[in-house]
Amino acid sequence: MILPLLKGLILTIKRFFNPNAVVTQQYPEERPKLPSRFRGLPELQIGKDGRERCIACGLCAKVCPSKCITVEGATDKITQRRYPKVYELDAFRCIFCGFCEEACPVRAVILRDTFELSTYQNKNIFDKKQLLDLTKKRKISF
Amino acid sequence: MKTINLVVDDKTITVPEGTNIFQASLDNGIYIPGLCYHPKLSQFGGCRLCMVEVTERRTAHRFACAHPVSEGMIVKVNTPKVVRYRRSVMEYLLAHHELSCPTCDKAGECSLQDITHELMLSPSRFNAVRMNAPVVRDNPILELNRNRCVLCGRCVSACKEIEGVGAIDFQKRGIKTYVGTAFDKPLDCSFCGGCLAVCPTGSWQDRTLEFRGRPWEFKKTQTICPYCAVGCTIVLNTKSGSVRRVTSDDYIGINEGNLCIKGRFGHEFIHSAERLKTPLIKKDGAFHPSSWDDALEYISKRFQQIINEHGGKAIGGIGSEKCTNEDNYLFQKFCRSVLRTNTIDNLSNLRSPSLNSLMYESVIRGIASTSLKEIEHANTLFFFGTDMTEAHPVAGTMARKAIRMNNASLIIANIRTISFSGTAKNDIRLTYSFGSQIPFIHALIKIIIDEKLIDLKKAESSISNFHELPLAFDTFSVKEASQVTGISEEMMRTTARLLTKSGNCCIVCGRDVEEDPLSRDTIKALMNLCVLMNASSPDTGHSKASLLFSRSHNNSQGVNDMGVVPEFFPGYSTTSDVSNRENIEKQWGVKFSDDIFMRESKNIFELARNGALKGLYIMGENPLVSYPNGKEVLEAFQKTGFIVVQDVFLTETAQLADVVLPTVTFAEKEGTFTNMGMTVQRLNKIIQPSGVDAKPDWQIICEFAKKMGYSYSYASPKDILSEIESVVPIYSGINYDRLKRKEFYWASSVSGSRNKSAKYLLNIVQPESLEIKQNKDFPFVLLTGVSLNHQGTFSRYSNALVSVSPECFAEMNRKDAQKMNIHDGDAVVIESSQNKVTLKAKVTGKSPEGIVFVSEDYEWIPINLVRTGVYTPVKIYKETGQI
Ligand code: SF4
Ligand code: SF4
Ligand code: SF4
Ligand code: SF4
Ligand code: SF4
Ligand code: FES
Repeated sequence: MILPLLKGLILTIKRFFNPNAVVTQQYPEERPKLPSRFRGLPELQIGKDGRERCIACGLCAKVCPSKCITVEGATDKITQRRYPKVYELDAFRCIFCGFCEEACPVRAVILRDTFELSTYQNKNIFDKKQLLDLTKKRKISF
Repeated sequence: MKTINLVVDDKTITVPEGTNIFQASLDNGIYIPGLCYHPKLSQFGGCRLCMVEVTERRTAHRFACAHPVSEGMIVKVNTPKVVRYRRSVMEYLLAHHELSCPTCDKAGECSLQDITHELMLSPSRFNAVRMNAPVVRDNPILELNRNRCVLCGRCVSACKEIEGVGAIDFQKRGIKTYVGTAFDKPLDCSFCGGCLAVCPTGSWQDRTLEFRGRPWEFKKTQTICPYCAVGCTIVLNTKSGSVRRVTSDDYIGINEGNLCIKGRFGHEFIHSAERLKTPLIKKDGAFHPSSWDDALEYISKRFQQIINEHGGKAIGGIGSEKCTNEDNYLFQKFCRSVLRTNTIDNLSNLRSPSLNSLMYESVIRGIASTSLKEIEHANTLFFFGTDMTEAHPVAGTMARKAIRMNNASLIIANIRTISFSGTAKNDIRLTYSFGSQIPFIHALIKIIIDEKLIDLKKAESSISNFHELPLAFDTFSVKEASQVTGISEEMMRTTARLLTKSGNCCIVCGRDVEEDPLSRDTIKALMNLCVLMNASSPDTGHSKASLLFSRSHNNSQGVNDMGVVPEFFPGYSTTSDVSNRENIEKQWGVKFSDDIFMRESKNIFELARNGALKGLYIMGENPLVSYPNGKEVLEAFQKTGFIVVQDVFLTETAQLADVVLPTVTFAEKEGTFTNMGMTVQRLNKIIQPSGVDAKPDWQIICEFAKKMGYSYSYASPKDILSEIESVVPIYSGINYDRLKRKEFYWASSVSGSRNKSAKYLLNIVQPESLEIKQNKDFPFVLLTGVSLNHQGTFSRYSNALVSVSPECFAEMNRKDAQKMNIHDGDAVVIESSQNKVTLKAKVTGKSPEGIVFVSEDYEWIPINLVRTGVYTPVKIYKETGQI
């Protein structure tokens, strides 16, 4: 009966000293490796012209189950284009379901890997500029 | 009417004969998809979607909108064959469609989208080329995107049939067909937005919306238009507490979903940045913001001081044509019982002082129309001295409906040649010469008698003083009248014959008549005409001819009903009558001192100019620019020591005030408005005032009264209306909650309440003409009128309206212009003995020679400071410098 016990203990000790078997990540020094389908904060994408892709159709706001998106459309006086004058996302309320990404007809919202959303304030609303900045930092546009 | 029974989708329905299957199903809640059929419009049958299976003698496929019902017919809406057909029609429609739903403001209320969804159409089998036609944005209000058009023809019909303009039509043929203006010129129409309202797709877009919301985000609440006296029901679409657009509902209100440019696109003033934000107190010539408490404290102290020193008599009050009945009722109650003055008035009464008593007289004698709808039911329409299109656009639409549905005859008489789009089979347009309106009406009466167009025997027996008539007309000859009026005898005879034709006749008495110095006699003459026509028709308690009096603003009728006039307590009971006074004293629990009812002059501005007024309380009016003699008002203000103005904007009048109190707009308050057809309709509070510390007028008055030591315990306009219900006899039976569902017609309950003989009594007047003394220095007469695109203060703060018509023109006759070498667009100076203004000339054939016409409704053009009265002699010369 003692034998299996020792066997187990050996395995434990082996694991304990094996540096390759450590699962705890040294966050924030160490960045987590996220799965490719990870759903972080919905981010606004930038189009070829350097402006937001969003056309203020409001479908994301409509579909959002937690009602955390506010879109206010407006007409661009020069191009007559429809654009979001206001685009706000309440990160406190978002449940990262990804519906908004799915609803968007122009692929202007994508949930990428932004997950560090803690804040000292009692609200955490991302406005259009902040959401676009997230994408700008990634230097991707299409 | 004969009715027909038929079965639609296993449901037996009964409808009147002549209905088409589409309408029959619609009325019975059975849905048939269709894009081109609209109940208000003539049937077109262009979209081919409404195919149904119809079994009459045999089974066949028919278009529901084009096929009349027949007895025993069996209709099936959704057989597999029909659905297959419908799907392929939709596929064709969608083949070219740009499908830009995400950026299309129609998405969410688009019939094309709905039907696509309902038929579950997947990607099309066709690979057609998209049209890629450029979007037409040639005007500030409507945008036309032809790529979304399904050529249903609704807009074309609406423009032609409802608005009578016909500005748009199908252009080109075959696959190249599109909707547009002739020669692709910029859209130049009345901008009623009818096309926008009927379009099943997103081809027409409201540019005042500017993508600021999606249909599913809007909260829609109905309310009453704040502009003219027609009182259309509008539906405000709000999102996050702000008004984004105005739509209409075909099934509510007297307007059946028709609106004019002001109602549909003039809503931007609600959120104007220029609104008054806080109470302002003037110190050393400059306004300083203050708190409500301080402002009211200050006002009440000053008013109290005036009362102590000079008595309440020294305070004057001006009520508002734009405020609700409740506001106005409370205003006059406050003035009479707290300030203790009877020197109160409103601009409508100041401009046409004889109208109220005559209007009330004709109501109780059963001569007046009891609702605007009478226009729609008339067989003969007589517009006398009114420019329907400009003054009451939707009433004009009702007239066109009468022409379309009842084949009504139309007679228009005016000093100017006015345009009224829409032609009747019998369509008479008359221009009588300046000042000759009474001879004209008399000539009509004379012809009616001479030619025995009515049953004279019957008239003689029912009209007790009929014998006076021949006497009075002894010396009057039609020939002379024809010379005076400038209308040929033949024309007058035709007019008289048309008027007396069988069927209902609706006579609209316009502002040009009501404000004329001879208005009293003219209206009496018109009443005589009605009496004659009514007396001879079989008396079924229903008048053949009725008289409708024009009013200008949304509540011009209500402010007079509520007794904001020196002559009447609420409900037209005269203030000179002691028993009326006692009655009111009892109801309000006050005691009037008799001397307040006796003033040397009725005109409040005259009293003020004579120094009789020390204080003035003005609610929601801008008399400086809306009273025919601006200079008198200015002098009156200068003589008055202390002026309080309550308004939404800092108007010209408010700028002269000592204290200005900010009030709310129609969207931010509740209450009732009474339109010119004496229909009381309810206003709904839709949004909270945002960014401004404004209060509804009634609330201000309540707080004001409290400061003066009186307590008014009204919690809401509902309480005020229930007091009105008990105090004002003509409003008895009104109920605030019931108004939400149904409007209240006060005139119908009062109509004909005086005894029969009064109904048929002539009130003969002399056929005088108005003479304006020819003046060598000022050879022209300045005539003013209304404008379609502007009215009151609100329209000037609505960008859409200002951008459609930014400029006021001086309309002159071609001959006059030629003489002075003035061309279209030249700057001309109009100078009267007291002031001058520079305007651009518009050379037309509309105004007769010697008359220059300027619209009054461009408030920023101080035309009323030039005027010295209703008709002002002016001189005109070309401006040499730059404007
Ligand atoms: S992820 Fe879900 S909850 Fe979050 S914004 Fe999108 S739709 Fe809303
Ligand atoms: S669905 Fe896409 S395009 Fe539409 S409002 Fe949202 S982000 Fe913008
Ligand atoms: S008209 Fe209708 S179907 Fe066409 S783009 Fe607009 S919403 Fe979509
Ligand atoms: S613009 Fe609209 S209403 Fe006019 S034809 Fe096209 S789809 Fe019909
Ligand atoms: S201004 Fe008059 S006609 Fe136009 S929508 Fe308003 S109430 Fe109707
Ligand atoms: S609705 Fe009948 S053809 Fe269009």
